[in-house]
Amino acid sequence: MSQTTNRLADPFDAVLHLLDRQLIDVDGLLAGKVDDLELTEGPDGWRITAVLTGTTALLHRLGGRIGNRLVELHAQLRVTEPDRDVPWRIPITQVSYVDSAVHLDRARKGVLHHNHVGRRLGRLTGMRVLESGRCVGRVIDVHVVPASGRLVLESLVVGRGGPGSYLGYDRNEEKGPWLVRAIVRAWHRGTRTVPLSRAAIDWDAREVNL
Amino acid sequence: MKKYIQVALGILTAIGGFVDIGDLVTNAQVGARFGTSLVWSTLVGLVGICLFAEMSGRVAAVSGRATFDLVRERLGPRFGMLNLVGSMLVTLLTYIAEIGGVALSLELVSSVQHVLIVPFVALVVWLVLWRAKFNLIENAFGILGLALIVFAVAVWQLAPDWGSLAHQAATAAKPHDELWSTYWYYAVALFGAAMTPYEVFFFSSGGVEEKWSTEDIGVMRANVFIGFPLGGLLSIAIVAAAWLTLGPLGVSVGSLDQVGLPVAVAMGKIGLAIVIVGFFAATFGAACETGLSVGYSISQYLGTQWGKFVRPDKATFFHLVVGLSTVIAAGVLLTGVDPIKVTEVSVVFSAVALPLTYFPILVVANDPDYMGEHVNGPVANALGTVMLVLVLVASIAAIPLMIWTGMGR
Repeated sequence: MSQTTNRLADPFDAVLHLLDRQLIDVDGLLAGKVDDLELTEGPDGWRITAVLTGTTALLHRLGGRIGNRLVELHAQLRVTEPDRDVPWRIPITQVSYVDSAVHLDRARKGVLHHNHVGRRLGRLTGMRVLESGRCVGRVIDVHVVPASGRLVLESLVVGRGGPGSYLGYDRNEEKGPWLVRAIVRAWHRGTRTVPLSRAAIDWDAREVNL
Repeated sequence: MKKYIQVALGILTAIGGFVDIGDLVTNAQVGARFGTSLVWSTLVGLVGICLFAEMSGRVAAVSGRATFDLVRERLGPRFGMLNLVGSMLVTLLTYIAEIGGVALSLELVSSVQHVLIVPFVALVVWLVLWRAKFNLIENAFGILGLALIVFAVAVWQLAPDWGSLAHQAATAAKPHDELWSTYWYYAVALFGAAMTPYEVFFFSSGGVEEKWSTEDIGVMRANVFIGFPLGGLLSIAIVAAAWLTLGPLGVSVGSLDQVGLPVAVAMGKIGLAIVIVGFFAATFGAACETGLSVGYSISQYLGTQWGKFVRPDKATFFHLVVGLSTVIAAGVLLTGVDPIKVTEVSVVFSAVALPLTYFPILVVANDPDYMGEHVNGPVANALGTVMLVLVLVASIAAIPLMIWTGMGR
């Protein structure tokens, strides 16, 4: 693996190219998965500020109500320990480059911190997208553009959701094999991109209004 | 020169390592009852495992990612979790069967009841997985497993009517005293035995263990495309030997000594001694591979450190999982359950679980994002798509056939 390919240097799709990838430390040791991503709203809009990893982050990803219940149970297992329901965090600035894995710029020992605030990408994906009150699909991915060292969310990928959302056939017309592509693309036809400037995210109601 | 030795070693390992308890038992059972009429199913499974292993090996060499990394990345955490649970239950079942197989092999030598041998076997397997080097695990038992070539020698010694064997294989002529339902049940079982999912977990994770790069793709292909088919020939030799000796007697195979009986009939004591060595090596090697595969897959899903390429104290979780699954496997066998029965169930559920890992690997092998210029070519994709359909059909048909035929009775 050479360092010449860095995914974060060019525009990318957060779910397709960053989420669920392997974390590798500077010594080549494995350090967990990108279980979720931390989103923070700043003057230039939403950006990715940290990798969230560990049991709590993963349990949240397992799905709305079940996920929340599992996070509660996980906290109950050891009530004496604070912040068990808060995911562990690695600032995105500590990521040196991304190829098929996410490479950290330091050793894995003690790399995690419990200071997560802001939003989770896992909560944004799956949100219903409403256009003048009518549901037009769900958020399945976000398109990210690097701008002067920041990873800024530029647009939402809106589609049907469900099985096959992570396969990437909706965004690559070439990728084979033919039969799989035809079936997945037919299922996910109508997937489109919506600029974030046109969308208002309601985090509590889990809805995006265009 | 060193390179050629490495290639030869890899091929020999692939041949010897191809056969495990599932192949031994299923091939002998099918041989005794159906002769060579189901050889086509072994051949289809063989093409399948070659495709599957080559794709996962190529993905591992190019991107450094092993099977359950890809499952998680391409199916997401939720479906990936279901996938993990299903695949791990099947692999654990296979692990139990392999450890039971080692104990049965030792029972043949010692006449000590296999249940009494199980704790000892489990302990040794765990020690090997904890302490031994990866190359030793992979090569030693693979090479020793070559002892199973006695099955081919036995077939030759039995001086069969080659024409009728070939005719039965080519026309897929089911013996008249067998039902079509059991015929298809065993077709699926053979397919599952040839294409056991752990083989691919182990193969791709092993590629990462050995730090394959794009330069190693050639060697990897040689192992797969030469080694596996020759290993498949051993499977077919077991079928033929069983048909020639057990078929006329109407024996239905239910124990490991019956699997070895054809060799004893053809070659006497010497043959029997060699075949028992082969049984031991094949099952012990496969026990190591399945035990590691359980640890590999769970660690890969969670992203924690796995593998033998780091010292055990850097991969504590991985070794904990391997140790616990060994305890579970030994515990199940200590209930006195028949390892042959466990094997029969494990090959059928292997067929059920196959699409769970076959599909994501087929997708990623096509993804230029991971693979760059090394994406599947048109031939790999045409064959891969046909195989995807076959894998799905076998997966859906397996459980209904199992219930309908009462596990092939």
